[in-house]
Amino acid sequence: MTENILEIKDLVVHYETDDGVVYAVNGISLAIGKGQTLGLVGETGAGKTTTALSILNLVPNPPGVIKSGEILLDNINMLSLPARELQNVRGKDVAMIFQDPMTALNPVMTIGEQIAESVMLHHKDFSKEDCIERAKEMLRQVGIDDSRAADYPHQLSGGMRQRVVIAIALACNPKLLIADEPTTALDVTIQAQVLALMKQLKQEFNTVMLLITHDLGVVAEVCDEVAVMYAGHIVEKGSAYDVFNHTLHPYTEGLFNSLPNLRERGEELVPIKGMMPDPMQLPTGCVFAPRCPYVMDKCRLGQPELKDHGQSHFVACIAYDSEDFKLRRNS
Amino acid sequence: METTIEKTKSRSLASETWRRLKKNKGAIIGLIFLVVLVIAALASGFIYDYDTQIIGQNISQRLQRPSSEFWFGTDQVGRDIFARILYGARYSLSISAGSVLIGLITGIILGAVAGFYGGLADDIIMRIADVLYAIPNIMIAVVIVSLLGSSTINLLLALSVSAATSFARITRASVMTIRGQEYIESANAIGMPNWKIILKHVIPNCLSPIIVQVTLLIGTTIIAASSLSFLGIGVPAPAPEWGAMLSEGRDFMRSASYICIIPGLVIMATVLALNLLGDGLRDALDPKMKT
Amino acid sequence: MWKYILKRLIQMIPAILITSFIIYFSMNLTSGDPAMLVAGEKATPAQVEQVRQELGLNDPIVIRYLKYMGGMIRGDLGTSYVTKQDVFKTFMSRLPATLELSFASVLIAVLVSIPLGIYTAVNQNSWKDTAGMIFALFGVSMPNFWLGLMLIVLFSLNLGWFPSSGRAGFQSLVLPAVTVGLGLAALITRTTRSSMLDVIRQDYMRTARAKGASERRVIYKHGLNNALIPIITVIGLQLSNVLTGSVLAETVFSWPGIGRLIFDHISKRDTPMVTGAIIMCSILMCLVNLVVDIVYAFFDPRIKAQYVQK
Repeated sequence: MTENILEIKDLVVHYETDDGVVYAVNGISLAIGKGQTLGLVGETGAGKTTTALSILNLVPNPPGVIKSGEILLDNINMLSLPARELQNVRGKDVAMIFQDPMTALNPVMTIGEQIAESVMLHHKDFSKEDCIERAKEMLRQVGIDDSRAADYPHQLSGGMRQRVVIAIALACNPKLLIADEPTTALDVTIQAQVLALMKQLKQEFNTVMLLITHDLGVVAEVCDEVAVMYAGHIVEKGSAYDVFNHTLHPYTEGLFNSLPNLRERGEELVPIKGMMPDPMQLPTGCVFAPRCPYVMDKCRLGQPELKDHGQSHFVACIAYDSEDFKLRRNS
Repeated sequence: METTIEKTKSRSLASETWRRLKKNKGAIIGLIFLVVLVIAALASGFIYDYDTQIIGQNISQRLQRPSSEFWFGTDQVGRDIFARILYGARYSLSISAGSVLIGLITGIILGAVAGFYGGLADDIIMRIADVLYAIPNIMIAVVIVSLLGSSTINLLLALSVSAATSFARITRASVMTIRGQEYIESANAIGMPNWKIILKHVIPNCLSPIIVQVTLLIGTTIIAASSLSFLGIGVPAPAPEWGAMLSEGRDFMRSASYICIIPGLVIMATVLALNLLGDGLRDALDPKMKT
Repeated sequence: MWKYILKRLIQMIPAILITSFIIYFSMNLTSGDPAMLVAGEKATPAQVEQVRQELGLNDPIVIRYLKYMGGMIRGDLGTSYVTKQDVFKTFMSRLPATLELSFASVLIAVLVSIPLGIYTAVNQNSWKDTAGMIFALFGVSMPNFWLGLMLIVLFSLNLGWFPSSGRAGFQSLVLPAVTVGLGLAALITRTTRSSMLDVIRQDYMRTARAKGASERRVIYKHGLNNALIPIITVIGLQLSNVLTGSVLAETVFSWPGIGRLIFDHISKRDTPMVTGAIIMCSILMCLVNLVVDIVYAFFDPRIKAQYVQK
């Protein structure tokens, strides 16, 4: 028994397609403790969304297959639950906010009905009126006038729809909220509003959050802890402070260097060279080796393990086997 | 130089399509069936003598069940059904392919005119197409054949009408999408006549839907042609058209149901083969559409 | 919404005018001299001329068309040359048989095809999908009149369960309705499957699963409601096809419907009957299309919003 709300152990997920096997998630481990917000950071295609869907056991199958691993949600293994119990957990103990609010809502149901459905599925003793009442309450919570409960998604703006998606997710007061790029599809001004709303509601509902994003700014704003994902592996994880200020992995350093710096305009951006490897043909050694500016011969031998570098700050890089290794950023 | 580039490109598209089509078992079965049928239909003209073996009556061997001598049995006047089926393939295939071809040519011309000139021409052509589209094609064909009199040529014309409406729609839609695009305007500017633009740009642009539609329409037209013959206004007796053979067998349904069953099975197998091939072509030509 | 329906009804008028114009002219210009037909083969030229006067055939065709349309407003579509009976009354006497067959066959088609289409889509690429698709493929490849004959051979001649012809009660409706219905079912199954396959990939299906909805609820409540629009379109198209196009089934089963009425009279060159019946059919089909559009609005709020705006 641990205090962690969510624990992922050695998760491996493949997509087995006609053209070959896509190695989407290759043995990652994560944990989120009470009250925490974990940011999962990485480029598109790093396996973040697959990880999130695995937590709900919703990886589309076929072609997706969860090959091995454990996902403990409040000490219950989601991967071994029978379908019926899984349905009881989804939406109630763990809920998810999706990336694109334009497509995440059912176009032929009113937003009130869609929130109420969430309540109805997990509160069998509620009457229909109770569910609708609760739906209206949720709308008010996310800052939408409850007179709009009878509106259809097409009548709302993108930001409003994302608020509705948040309302659906929080309607049953879940222990864990997964937010998959919740602001990517929104305008910048709306992004800030939605982010602030999520932060506030997380406090009110006392839920833990897994925030998936490629935007380091969002992470700095919201997260307590950060895990950096690359090509299906976690390459660095630790507290947000450590990862931002004592960056360890060359890939994380690359991410920071690619950010435009508003204070020092004119400074040259340093993009990471090359492209993320094809997830059907991952390199044999460290997955980041082909793009790594610090690459050594032994990097090509195998994927390094995630090792504690002190104060629960983990990194998967064999360069740290020699004690005097330092990233340029830190020296 | 330019033509060689274009040639290699179009060849690679065709070979790419063929490569995908080969993977589709159903489409290949359909294709093989159709090739065999066409060869058999062509050969039947040399094997059988039309006057004696196809339409000549032989009462002494009437209503014989399928046997090793008569694979499909004999009909009410003693004709070999197998021979008539093979010979009948000529009618069914040439009538349907012919009417689809007529429909294809008129449809492309009308659709291109409607799309290019717009305005009144577009309105008239498309409104008529709408009306024809709303009336079931069997009814259109019944009306036309009844008015013009029943003969093979009139049947061909009648069946081509509904094919023409569907090709007109495809072509018009294709013209509408490329009209106003810069390369068409520049083609216009260098004085390329419209018919050349249609040949060079419009038709290649909608080739995939047209190929698929041709395959599928030949199938529906075979059914329509046999339906009209069944109603007694298609290919005149005693020609061995499949629908007409089926119709003749109706009176013997109780005692010799095979006279009815076999032509129907043959029609179904042929149309099935065309549908399999058409579906396969659709997937192979447009992999994004694949469901 | 009512405003929209009213507007659509008004819009139907020009459509009917155009259709009737085309039908009237093509029928009257191509069907030869009806006066000879009416007067009979043994009539003298003078008698034929008299008939021509009586029928008003000496007027220019435009005048005749206008007179015809004038009559149509009063429900007068003329008198049959062959049976000497009122065209409108004859049409209305045949209409119940056609409606009965149409609705029964569409009902059968919907009951078979929508569950089958959903089932094959949900089990995409499995043997269940393949089996369902083969069934549908056979259905669309089969000549419908042949299916009717085969049903007669099996259920009427051999088993004796149902009558093979005529229209007398429920028993006689079964075979014609199954014949027409199965042909439709094949088409609707294919549409349902591809429409469901589109919908199954949508994000809102994942949202529904993430809420904890059962697979059944996800498919039927969230999926089917969204997949219905193309399905309704096909059903609407087929319904108008069935109304006039079941002439083959009507022939096979001696069913006294409108398709058969048109077919019988066309070969006798009975221009008023054929023209009248086809015009009535096109009005009927316009009404069916209107009903289909209203049903769209019922299932899709986005379409409804468009109607209300207009």
